[in-house]
Amino acid sequence: MTMSATTFTRRDALLGGSRLLAAGAGLSMFRDLHAMQLSSTAAASPAAPYKALVCVYLSGGNDSFNLLVPTSAADHGAYMASRGNLGITADQLLPINPINPQGRAFGLHPSVPELRDMFEAGSLAFVVNAGTLMAPISKAAYRANSAAKPAQLFSHSDQTQQWESQSAAADTPHGWAGRASDLLVSLNNGSPLSPAISLAGSTRLLRGQTVAPYALGTGGSVQLSGFSGTRGQRRLATFQQLLQKRNVHMMETEFADLQAQAMELDTLIRGALGTAPPLQTAFPTTSIGRQLKMVAQMIGLRDTLGVARQVFYVRLGGFDTHADQLAFHAQLLSQLAIALKAFADAMAELGTSSAVTTFTASEFGRTLSSNGSGSDHGWGGNQMVIGGAVRGRDLYGTWPSLILDSDDDVGRGRLIPTTAVEQVCATLASWFGVNPSDLPTLFPRLSEFASSDLGFMS
Amino acid sequence: MPGHDPLLSGAPPAASITTTTVLRSRCRSRLVALAAAVLASACGGGGGGDSYAPGTDLPASDATAVHFLTQATFGADDASIARLHRLGYSTWLREQMEMGASLHRPELEARAGAGENIQQIHRQEMWWRRAVVAPDQLRQRVAFALSQIFVISDRASALNTDSIGMAEYYDILVRNAFGNYRELIEQITLSPQMGKYLSMLRNRKPDLARNIKPDENYAREIMQLFSIGLVQLDQQGNVVRDGSNQPIPTYTQEEIVGLAHVFTGWTYAGSTSFFSATPNYRPMEPFEDYHDQQAKNVLGGVIFPAGRTAREELTDFLDRLAAHPNVAPFLAKQLIQRLVTSNPTPAYVGRIAAVWNDNGASVRGDLGAVVRAILLDAEAMTGQIAAPTTFGKLREPLLRLSALWRAFHARADDGLYDYTNPEINMAQAALRSETVFNFYRPDHQPQGELATASLVAPEFEILTHSTITTQTNQLYTSVNRHRSAAGTAPDQILIDLQREIAMAADPVALVDHLNVLLLAGTMSVEMHAILVAHLQAETDLKTRAEDAVHLVVTSPEFAIQK
Repeated sequence: MTMSATTFTRRDALLGGSRLLAAGAGLSMFRDLHAMQLSSTAAASPAAPYKALVCVYLSGGNDSFNLLVPTSAADHGAYMASRGNLGITADQLLPINPINPQGRAFGLHPSVPELRDMFEAGSLAFVVNAGTLMAPISKAAYRANSAAKPAQLFSHSDQTQQWESQSAAADTPHGWAGRASDLLVSLNNGSPLSPAISLAGSTRLLRGQTVAPYALGTGGSVQLSGFSGTRGQRRLATFQQLLQKRNVHMMETEFADLQAQAMELDTLIRGALGTAPPLQTAFPTTSIGRQLKMVAQMIGLRDTLGVARQVFYVRLGGFDTHADQLAFHAQLLSQLAIALKAFADAMAELGTSSAVTTFTASEFGRTLSSNGSGSDHGWGGNQMVIGGAVRGRDLYGTWPSLILDSDDDVGRGRLIPTTAVEQVCATLASWFGVNPSDLPTLFPRLSEFASSDLGFMS
Repeated sequence: MPGHDPLLSGAPPAASITTTTVLRSRCRSRLVALAAAVLASACGGGGGGDSYAPGTDLPASDATAVHFLTQATFGADDASIARLHRLGYSTWLREQMEMGASLHRPELEARAGAGENIQQIHRQEMWWRRAVVAPDQLRQRVAFALSQIFVISDRASALNTDSIGMAEYYDILVRNAFGNYRELIEQITLSPQMGKYLSMLRNRKPDLARNIKPDENYAREIMQLFSIGLVQLDQQGNVVRDGSNQPIPTYTQEEIVGLAHVFTGWTYAGSTSFFSATPNYRPMEPFEDYHDQQAKNVLGGVIFPAGRTAREELTDFLDRLAAHPNVAPFLAKQLIQRLVTSNPTPAYVGRIAAVWNDNGASVRGDLGAVVRAILLDAEAMTGQIAAPTTFGKLREPLLRLSALWRAFHARADDGLYDYTNPEINMAQAALRSETVFNFYRPDHQPQGELATASLVAPEFEILTHSTITTQTNQLYTSVNRHRSAAGTAPDQILIDLQREIAMAADPVALVDHLNVLLLAGTMSVEMHAILVAHLQAETDLKTRAEDAVHLVVTSPEFAIQK
């Protein structure tokens, strides 16, 4: 049974290319293409050099002014005054030596020696006080409502969407990384695997206009079970007939397409994973460790799969530290640092350190002031960029005042971002291969800000 | 509100399990001998007996009955179909609403008191037992819907070891499923489990010397998620826009800050001091020394005067919140989405919001009246005819499995439903979402044609390339474990396919039967033909029954509740 035209258009879109539609291929041909790609890795060798972006989403709003902390006496004193019982004393902080310290001195949270080492070795940079903005805004304008503000500041769901979609387009269904993938998917030799891969389920970040993300579990691809033996194979044929038949209901089509696509890609990915040598790098068994390990394994298959551009999304939750922050945040940062170090080591093992750039994102920073044992939803925050192509051991963007009620503070230490997420993401997108002429499409408000390239990528 | 509750004070746990088991086995032993209608009145009605005079609004067919029961219960079974035929819709709803509530906490607490180490897995087992066999199906189903709006989660370390407290939180939803929203939101607000989850517990007034400000967590989420939402809505649930076509926020950050001050001073009941107490599940109590008594800006320009107590301010605020015009459309639409359809028409939302605002007796927030109106609405009854391409919803993962288990009388010989970490394969477990934003957002749009058509399908947010297959695999396992299969263990949950095996000599009859029982008669001609052809090519009757059920419950047509 062949697919209906409607179904096929959708599936083709999901797969991120127009090749299958043009060929008028049915499901069986689709399978043949998988087989071809698996059996002829040399022929699939891509013309463009491989590059990948890995988004590490810190869900809940990371208290990143406790990750990167000023250490000179005056700055640290102001920091402690603002943070109260959430502050980290100077003797605990891990000193770092930025190339351009903006006239200050800095240290990292005591739980992240791995990140300190990566920073000092030059493969990690911070973008400081980044956040959602419509355009640069002063405290006076914020107070007077005389300049545009991002909608629903301080709301988890809205600020997450704005990080993913960029401020001007908060209610679009697309993410900037998905749209970047739309532009670059043609480099992937027609691979049926989406260039946008999530290890943490659905995310708007990876949704393009034609590219649809592929969601992979940390255990790898999941094989359909229950269809073994002669009878099982016959039942499988009927199961597939039920997926391929015309459906009246749009959600039935959605469901059927997803199941069929999961089966197709499982064949491809499980086959490829089965041929790959195991990674030597040891990963932690935490959730973020397992997610990043699977990303590393997929990157290890880049030549087998014949892909030149990939975007991955992993997520570590729990950063909404309204209570018991000191203990919880230390645990989260430790998990994060150990997993990021393992991932960097795995990239070195695969020879892809300079081809893979990892960055953190989080919906907002947190209030500097304490609510007793935790902090509340803030605005600007510090993010990390990691990889061999990163101009590391440096800070990008303007460090804000951490004094409460300063011109950077709109209340309780909710800091007006001094760098826009558009600038951060546009810098990453340019490195990934998006043409300058396409940046305004991906980041419609980019021209509102002084620079479209923050300079942290080489 | 029907509050007579035999289990409220906590029946002895062992007795409760035994009762369940005995009840079921008694029903089962009579299964062969008795007609379905007799069975229903004996066992399926669950306490109503025959004191309910049948109404006139009877379902037209078994298929129609299944359609309704799919929205109102954890799945149709013979007994519920028969009971609905006997009573009609309105009386069935009345019986369900007046029936004693099957609670979750008392048995777990009694077992803990008897020395058992009660954990979250036991709470999950209790949830399944209630979902699959509790007679008060409507109450349990509505409670589950409410648990996805008023979210707490055992993934939070603050709650992970508090399984009994979380069961009591669930029982707040069970007890108030047909109660009043104003009472429900107060009980939720004062639940110490919610207090821990969204950190209102021990939230304190400003401490200027130590630069400590009140916690904004509960203040924000009670408004964003539990009552009015972020933006102004009309009574049909449409977003109201300003002159620049922008949505109008319902509150400001300054009001969040003010409200954070309102919610100060509360801690565990029976505490000797604000910071030392034995954790428990009783409603939180105030310590006035820790309550902020300054004037504060709360909601819609209202200034609370200085000098009021924690309880006075809480009562005043919750009264104002429950009276906000957004509450009815915001929550009515989500209840419709959980029970009936992802994309209700604005008119449907408007009809339910009107009932929310006035139940006919000038009472606002009568959840029983709201649930009744949702299920008896013409759109719930016939939406699949009016909008065959869009009406309905993706079955939630747990509801896919519960529908299978109820339709085929699943039980384990030990009387328990030991499927206690369903999120591993089904991506969902009661009170176990990743965040307070539930497993999925009400406005989630799958990419592609649904998004292009501006349709939402919330449940698709947790249906990925991975989870769709783990769910399909779990459904296979659950079908394969049946009483006529070999090698089963006493704690395995087994479905009963004896009747289907007996019918399997006639493939058309078997498919017709499954069409009614599982698909409410909506099976397409194509699917029917595909299944019949498959069964005709199979000679073994047991395999025919297994294959037929497996293929139906893993099919796209079953996945979408219509």
